[in-house]
Amino acid sequence: MKIINKLFYYLIRFYQKYLTILSFGSCRYHPTCSSYALTEFEHNNFFVALFKSIYRIIRCNPLSDGGFDYPTTKQKFTKCEFKRIRVKYWYIPKDKNNYLILKNWEKNNQDKSTNVNE
Amino acid sequence: MSMNNQNKQDTQKRILLATLISFVFFIAYDFLYLQPQQQAQIEYAKAHPKQEANKNVNTTNSVSVNNTTANNTIPNIKEINKETIISTIVTTNSIYEIDSLGRIAQVTLREKKYVDEDGKPLKLFNATQLRPLEVRFADAALNKKAFDTAVSVSASKLNIQNNSQVLTITQNLGDTVLTKKIEFFADGHYKLNVSTSNNQNYFITPGYRPDIAADMYADHGALLTKSDGTLIIIEDEDMDKAVELVGIQAVSAFDRYYTTVLYNFKKNMQVSVMKNDTASPESFIHVSNSAELYGYAGPKEYNLLKSFDPELTKIIEYGWFTFLAKPMFVMLQYIHNIVGNWGWTIVITTILLKLALSPLSHKGMVSMNRLKELSPKIKQIQEKYKDDKQKASMHMMELYKKEGANPMGGCLPILLQIPIFFAIYRVLLNSIELKGAEWIWFVQDLTHKVSINNLWDPYIIIPILMGATMWLQQKITPNQMQDETQRKMFMMLPFIFTIFFIFFEAGLVIYWTVNNLFTIAQQYYINKMFERQKEERAKAHEAKKSHKGK
Repeated sequence: MKIINKLFYYLIRFYQKYLTILSFGSCRYHPTCSSYALTEFEHNNFFVALFKSIYRIIRCNPLSDGGFDYPTTKQKFTKCEFKRIRVKYWYIPKDKNNYLILKNWEKNNQDKSTNVNE
Repeated sequence: MSMNNQNKQDTQKRILLATLISFVFFIAYDFLYLQPQQQAQIEYAKAHPKQEANKNVNTTNSVSVNNTTANNTIPNIKEINKETIISTIVTTNSIYEIDSLGRIAQVTLREKKYVDEDGKPLKLFNATQLRPLEVRFADAALNKKAFDTAVSVSASKLNIQNNSQVLTITQNLGDTVLTKKIEFFADGHYKLNVSTSNNQNYFITPGYRPDIAADMYADHGALLTKSDGTLIIIEDEDMDKAVELVGIQAVSAFDRYYTTVLYNFKKNMQVSVMKNDTASPESFIHVSNSAELYGYAGPKEYNLLKSFDPELTKIIEYGWFTFLAKPMFVMLQYIHNIVGNWGWTIVITTILLKLALSPLSHKGMVSMNRLKELSPKIKQIQEKYKDDKQKASMHMMELYKKEGANPMGGCLPILLQIPIFFAIYRVLLNSIELKGAEWIWFVQDLTHKVSINNLWDPYIIIPILMGATMWLQQKITPNQMQDETQRKMFMMLPFIFTIFFIFFEAGLVIYWTVNNLFTIAQQYYINKMFERQKEERAKAHEAKKSHKGK
C-alpha cells in the first residue's frame, strides 16, 4: 500500500473503532461504506479508491435501494504458487481482469490450503 | 462465547476511554495551555512596557518614542498615557484617539454591546504594539527625526454625528513636511490623504491587530486582498521572514471579531509584511510622495463593511471553511433582515435546513418503522449469527431486499450534517453580529459560553435541554440495535454530548437543540401515521371477520 492509502486506511480504521457509535446502523449497503472504502484503499490506486468511496457514500442515502455492493479491483493473476496460504480475500471474476472483492469470513483458516489464484 | 464477551467489554472500555481522553484533553488544553498563555501575555506586557514596534522597514534602527506607553504600575495594557493624546474624534460608533506622532493610539467602541467583563467600553488596541497610521521614512535620518518630532493637529476635538469632518495632522521635519488629511465619517471609517512636501518614499501601516478576541478558536493576524480576488492570510506567531507583496488592495490586521484596515480597491498597492518579535505580522504600505487610502478600525460587521465598500466584506473570513460558511452567513443575514433577531434566525435556519433534508430522512424513517414489524425475523438472524457480525449483516441485507425495505438512513445524510454543522460553527464563531445578540428570556448573548470555572450559569440550561431532546429523540426512534454494549453506549451519547456542548457557544447549542426537536417532530408524525395505518388495517380485518360471521 502506498503511504497515502495507508493513511486513509488507518483513518477509516480509527473511525470504525471509535466513531461508529455516532453513526451506528446507518449504512444501507453490504459491506458498509467504511469497510468498502477500506478494501478499496487496500487494493486500488489512491484516486480510484477515493473516487469510488465518495461515490459509494453519495449513493448511500434513502433514495437509493442499498443492498449488496462489493468493491472491485483490476488485477492480473500471473503467478501460481502451490503452498499453504491464509485467505484474506476472495476475488470473484466480474468481467475481464475485473474482480469483486469479498472478505473471507472463515476464521482459523491458516491450516486450510486454498488457492486464490484463478 | 466468553471470548466474545471479552471483546465486547474491550470495545466498551475503548470507547469510554476515547471519550474520556478527548474530554480531559479539552479541559487540560484550556487550563494548562490557553489560560497560562493569556497570563503570560499579560505578564509579558507588564514586564516589557516599552515594546513599541521600533523596527524600521528599512532595517535601520529608528528611535521609538516610548514615553507614550503605559508605565509599569499600570497593569492594563490598553491604557494610553492621556498626555500624549493630542486629538480625540468622536463618531457615532467609536472614539479615535490620535497621539503626538500622528498615529491612532486607541479606538474605543461606543455601542452598548461592545463592553468587557466589567461593563467598560471595549478598547481595540494593545498600547504596546504598532499603532495604525504610523509612518516610517525610507530615509533613515529623516525617519529618526520623525520619531522625535511631535505633530500638530487642526483640531483637538471633533464630534461627528453626521456626515464627515476633516482632521489635518502636520509634521514639520525641516525640509520635509508630512501631512495626513483624515476625513472622519460618522459611521466610523475614514479617508486618508497622506503626502510629503518633497517627494519622500515612506511606509504607512494599518497597525497591529486589535487585541480583544485573539484566541485559538479562530484565526488572527494579517489578511491582504489582492486585485485578482485572492486572499493572503498570515497568522500570528507563524512567520519565518518578511514578505513583499504587490497588487494589494486591502490590508487588514484582525482578531476574531475586530479589524484595523487600510484599503483602496481602485489601486494596487505594494506591501511589506514584517515579522515582529513574536513572529506575528505587521504590514506596511509603500508610498511614494502621496497616497489616497480608506481606513477603518472596529468590529467586522458585515453590513457596516458593505456600506463602506462592498468589496471590503472580503476581509471577513471563516478559515478554510469559508466556501461553505460564507453562503451560510449570507442565508443567516437574509433571514435576520426579515425577523430581526439572531436567536430566531438560528431557529428558522435550522428548520429550513432540516426541511431541505427531510425528503432524505423521511423515506428512511418510514422504512425503519416498516422494519419494526419484522423484528422477530431480525432477532432470529442475529441469534443465529451472533458470533459473526459480517454474516449477520449479509443475511439482514437479504431480508431487507426480500421485504423491499431498507431501514438504514444511509451514510450520506449523516455525513451531510458534518459540513453543515461546521459551517454554522464557523459562522457563529466569527460573526461579530452575534455578540451581544439576544434571543429570549435569559439568553442575552448568543456567543456566550459556560466557563469551567463557573458552572452556575443560567446558560447551562441550553446544553441540558439539548441533552434532553437528544435523549427523547433516541427514545422515540425505533432501532434495531441488538448488541448490548452498543446499545448501552448509544444510550450514553446524550450525556456525553451534553458535557461537550456545555462549553460551546449558546447559538450553536440552540442549533443542535432545534435540530433534535425537528427530528422528534418528524419521527412522532411518522409513528402516528403508522399507528393509524395499523388501526385501519385491524378495523378492516375486524369488519371482514364480522361480515363473514353473519
